[in-house]
Amino acid sequence: MKEEKSFWRKLNAWINGEEALIHADEYIARREQPKKRQWLKRPNIQEIKSNKGLYWFLCVLISIVFITIMLLVVSNLPTFGDPMDPANNEVMERYLEKGIEETGAINFVAGMILDYRAFDTFGESNVLFLAVICVLMLLKRDKKNISEAEDKEIAEDEMLDAADHKSILKVGAKYLSPLIILYGIYVILNGHLSPGGGFSGGSIIGAGLILYAAANGHKKMQTFFTFKTFTGISVACLLTYCACKSYSFFTGANHVGYAIPKGTPGNILSAGFILPLNICVGLIVAATMYGFYALFTKGDI
Amino acid sequence: MREIIAGIFICMGTIVFALSLLGIYRLKYVMNRMHAAAMGDTMGLGLVVIGLIILGHDVFHIAKYILMILFFWMSSPIASHMIGKVEMLTNKDYDERVHGK
Repeated sequence: MKEEKSFWRKLNAWINGEEALIHADEYIARREQPKKRQWLKRPNIQEIKSNKGLYWFLCVLISIVFITIMLLVVSNLPTFGDPMDPANNEVMERYLEKGIEETGAINFVAGMILDYRAFDTFGESNVLFLAVICVLMLLKRDKKNISEAEDKEIAEDEMLDAADHKSILKVGAKYLSPLIILYGIYVILNGHLSPGGGFSGGSIIGAGLILYAAANGHKKMQTFFTFKTFTGISVACLLTYCACKSYSFFTGANHVGYAIPKGTPGNILSAGFILPLNICVGLIVAATMYGFYALFTKGDI
Repeated sequence: MREIIAGIFICMGTIVFALSLLGIYRLKYVMNRMHAAAMGDTMGLGLVVIGLIILGHDVFHIAKYILMILFFWMSSPIASHMIGKVEMLTNKDYDERVHGK
C-alpha cells in the first residue's frame, strides 16, 4: 500500500501544481544520463588514416572497383569504325553527303551545330549567359553587400597593385594580347571554313582580354570594357541569334522560301547564317570569359 | 632519310618532355617544379618542332611552326616569372627555403 500512497501523493501534488518528485534534487544528481543515439555512424577519417594497412587496403579496393567498372563499360562499347555501329546511321550519311549543299559550310561541325542543331547551340549560349547572371548576383560589389573592412582591403590591394611595376608582364602583354585577340577573331571568322568556330574563338579572345587586364590593371580595362558594354554585347548577341534562327524556323527550317543566299562554299562570305551566328556566339563567350575573371578577382566588371 | 632525321628529333623531344613530366611529379617545391616544367617548354618543344620543320611541305607550313615556337618562348618565361614572383611575395619562409639560412 506504500506505493499506492506515494502514487496518490504524487497525483495530489501534480494537481496542486507542486513538484511531482519528492526528492527532485537527489534524483537529478543520481539519474543516468540518457544515451545520445548516433543515427549516422560516421567513420572517423583520422582513425582510418592512422591505420595504414586498412587505409591502403581501402584505397586499392576502391581503385580496383572503379577500374573494373570502367573496363567493363569500355569493353561493351561498340568497336570503332564498325559499319553496324548505332552511330553510323542515316543521319551521319545525310550530314556528310548533303552537308555542303544544304548549309554551305565546308566545316561540317559548324554546319551541324549552327544549322541543323542551331536550337541546341542557342540553349548553350543562354546557359553561359545565365551562369554569368548568377555569378553577377552573388559576387558583384554593391552598396548593400559590402562592408567597410572589405572596402579597406580592396583599396589596400589596389595600392599594392599600383606600386608593383610588372614591367615584364606589361611588355609581354603589349605584344602578345593583340596577337591572341587577332587569332581569336580569325578562328571565329573562319568558323565555317576551317576547324574552330564561335566557342573556341571566343575563349581565345577571352584569354587575350584576361592577359591584358592582368597586365594593365582593372582601371585601364574599364576604358573600353565596362559593365554596360558587357551587358550590351551579351544581350545584343543573344537577340540577334534569336532573330536569325526565328527567321529560319519561321520559313520552315528547311531552307524553302529562305531569302539568305548561301554563296559558293569556300568563300568567307558564304554559308548563310552560319557566319553571323558564329560571331554572336564568339562575342558572348569572350565577354563571359572576361566577365568571370573580373568578377572573381575584383567583384566588378 | 628526311623522315629518319625528323623521327630522331621528335623522339628526343618526347624524351625531354617525359623527363620534365617526371621532374614535375617528383619535385616538391614550386621553384624546383618550375625548373622542370621550363625544360619541356623550351628544349622539348624546340626539338619536336625542329623535327616537324624537317618534315614540312612549304614555306608557310614552316612559318607556322616558327610562329608557334616564338609564341611559346615569349609566353612561357613570362608565366614562369609571374609564378616565381608570387611565390617570393607570399611565402614567408622564402629565404629559409631557398638560401637555407
